[in-house]
Amino acid sequence: MSLTKRVSNWFSERLGLNDLPFFKTPDYMYHVNEWLGALVAASFIYTVISGLILLLYYNAAAGYQSTETIINQVPYGSVVLYSHLYGSYAMIILAYVHMFRNYFVGAYKKPRELLWILGVLMLVLTLGASFLGYSLIGDALAVSAVDVGAGIITSIPQLSFLIPIIFGNYDTGDYTRVLALHIILVALIGLLFVFHFFLAEQYGMMPSRKVKPKAPAVYTKEEWSKFNPWWPRNFVYMSSLIFMTWGFILAIPNALAYLNGLPQYFNPFMNPKPAPPPNSPAAAHITTYPPWFFLFLYKIADFTSDVVVFLMIGVIIPLVYLIILPFIDRTDELHPLKRKVFTGIGILMITYLIQTSLWGDLAPGVEVSVKDQVIAYLIPAIIVALGLTFIKPMDVQTKQVRGISPLTSLLFVVVAMLFAGSVVELIDYPTLFTFAVTLFTGSLFFIGSKAMGKVVLNKGLPNNAVPEVRTTTETPTSNETKRKFAEVLMSILFILVVIIVAQMWTIPPTGYASNLFGVDLGLVFLMLGEVISLYHYVVYKKPIEKEE
Amino acid sequence: MPLKIRLGNGEKGVLKTSDLYFIQKLLKTMRNPKTRFDSREFVEKGEDYLFNYVGKNVGGIDEGRRNFLKGIVIGVAAATVVGIIPGLRVLVPPVEQATGFPKSLLVDVSGNPLKASSIPVNSPIITLYEYPLTGEPNFLLNLGDKSGNPVSIAPIEVTVPQTGKTYKFPGGVGPNNSIVSYSAICQHLGCTPPYIHFYPPNYVGPSQLTAPEPDTLTAQALLAAKQANIPALIHCDCHGSTYDPYKGGAVLTGPTQRPLPSVILEYDSSTDYLYAIGAIGVATYPEGSDGVPSQDPTKDLDTSQYGSSVGSKTQVQASTNPFSGS
Repeated sequence: MSLTKRVSNWFSERLGLNDLPFFKTPDYMYHVNEWLGALVAASFIYTVISGLILLLYYNAAAGYQSTETIINQVPYGSVVLYSHLYGSYAMIILAYVHMFRNYFVGAYKKPRELLWILGVLMLVLTLGASFLGYSLIGDALAVSAVDVGAGIITSIPQLSFLIPIIFGNYDTGDYTRVLALHIILVALIGLLFVFHFFLAEQYGMMPSRKVKPKAPAVYTKEEWSKFNPWWPRNFVYMSSLIFMTWGFILAIPNALAYLNGLPQYFNPFMNPKPAPPPNSPAAAHITTYPPWFFLFLYKIADFTSDVVVFLMIGVIIPLVYLIILPFIDRTDELHPLKRKVFTGIGILMITYLIQTSLWGDLAPGVEVSVKDQVIAYLIPAIIVALGLTFIKPMDVQTKQVRGISPLTSLLFVVVAMLFAGSVVELIDYPTLFTFAVTLFTGSLFFIGSKAMGKVVLNKGLPNNAVPEVRTTTETPTSNETKRKFAEVLMSILFILVVIIVAQMWTIPPTGYASNLFGVDLGLVFLMLGEVISLYHYVVYKKPIEKEE
Repeated sequence: MPLKIRLGNGEKGVLKTSDLYFIQKLLKTMRNPKTRFDSREFVEKGEDYLFNYVGKNVGGIDEGRRNFLKGIVIGVAAATVVGIIPGLRVLVPPVEQATGFPKSLLVDVSGNPLKASSIPVNSPIITLYEYPLTGEPNFLLNLGDKSGNPVSIAPIEVTVPQTGKTYKFPGGVGPNNSIVSYSAICQHLGCTPPYIHFYPPNYVGPSQLTAPEPDTLTAQALLAAKQANIPALIHCDCHGSTYDPYKGGAVLTGPTQRPLPSVILEYDSSTDYLYAIGAIGVATYPEGSDGVPSQDPTKDLDTSQYGSSVGSKTQVQASTNPFSGS
């Protein structure tokens, strides 16, 4: 036995890698939809690490000043700070995606009710921690966000005792308590995460509906024991996902740091830099807005002047609904079209969340009449209700063999919205630039709709009219060529990584160029993730990974 | 054992051990009736069938290839670590080594330049700004006589009692040459405001002897002020050191053995702005053995860990009135 083999055996024996109490994973589950929780955890871990680095420098007694010091003077401080911000953004987005995915597959049902409730609580904590973290910057936006938050609480006299508890001596510009609470909330997330994680390992990931069409959807001990153990395949797959998540978290904000002077409505989403301090003359000229993940609340505040009603619509009703969901939807059906009411509510929640957030971004603080509210919120409800009434659940046999992944359709929605937006921009400002942008998004839209069209149109046909032409036994085609290609790709990526790493050593630690370091490190992480993913493909991927 | 053939003198490898082992395993599997290799299907479907068959029954790719791929993964991971190394500089706190004094415009709390003519004469409110480093407070004083008229402060020779050496205090600036600025860190043991602060003429009197801390004056301080014939003084309540603001911060009473260092101000009469441009006197923090001060005020700049350079602007804050309680 070779030395490396002996060393690795020594470790795997001592660490008990072969019989870890983790969930064993069937072959077909190595797709990102089954691993969304790992993505959330990856961004959580990143944000914690970068946050601890920032904690070494942040001075709560002089919030804005120390933020500026971190950005301008600490070596690679801006890289860490911006990616910390985007790490939390990523965590929020991924938590929403993770939640809604599990909502639609019915993962909150027996026996995973507690898992679901813990998850909802963690979302709330995440939003709270993000809000406090956003305030720590101490810029004009943070101060106004805190003022609004504090204003909401004070307007309910029974709750005003919370103000000193949450904000402490905030009025004097002292962020000590905000910082402490920020850390406490994150620690709570970490604690709940441990429970969430081990419960998830206990029940395992949701099996495919083809295997377990009804709740409780869990594998029996015998089924379970023949799947892939955690080490090494799960580990390899998981590391590729983690590194890719980190790559995006690092690369995006540091690239965005080079953008200057965006139109106002892009700012809440795309500007990683702090605004001017609240006591500067420049602060009078900026439009204030909350962090993007609270834009929806900001808009709801325009609907009503009654804070209690506002809190009911914006916070309490959706939250209570999500928490008690496992106890309302008690059927054992897992197919989304067999529990249409809940599917409909889910779709509407997503629609309303996005719609209201964008509305709050485009028209912040503009009051909305009741008539407009009804129009804006009734139409999606009618469309969803009609749509769900007429769609029937498809039989498994007639299901399209080549479907589209949820990720593709989500991407298509984004592309379609970008296209629509750019058309509007083109009509408003007919310049060469907007034309070029429209052309670009238009072509993306065209390509996308061609791909989507096939699926959508086929689905539109009545199911009975499609005769059983396709044999479900696919002829196994070897992935040997793909493997060869993957190996070549890995070698190319290795060379690229070495080049980029060499370049990273030349980047100055502070100043304008320093954010390039973040971009490069992000790219390196992305490529590392991709190389591991390719390795996983070549070494572990089986030609057919059927749902079992 | 690798398979080799001998041709003349040289041995030449044909197959590696692992390959040989792989072929053996493959042949065994092919003969096994349970997993028999279907040669007819192979003829029909070509190598795809073979690869599939191998992938299914003989455990995928062979050892050598796997090791090569592992090598690449480890290589990329190692490169990533190498890439992170310069990033670890984030853990090294930036020590700003101020090598000289910046020229800093004095601004008010809202960021506008401070007008020299707007500084109140003999103000009891502690008026401070940081210079040359953050965390180093200095008094900004507009000195006047008993009746509150500004007094022109002349240049004067200041003696350091501890060393006996002298230096030249440049005098006051501003429209009436009455504005001076001293370090607000007591040279005795480093007390800062409000313990050390300026006593305007109406607070230099016997009633201050019994005033509560930090407004107590000692009898020595009062006597010294009388002898020196000055209406106001700077006094530190920690241990009773007294300084003469009219004569370059010179020592009036101990226990201090060093005068307060002065910040050199520049007055722009066309705009009425004030700039801090340097310092004179002893170093703010005593250096060397026994705390014997360097005569050079730049001495402690490059070793100071207390702050970073204030830059081209420094904010003047007048927030505390020490006498409001008494």
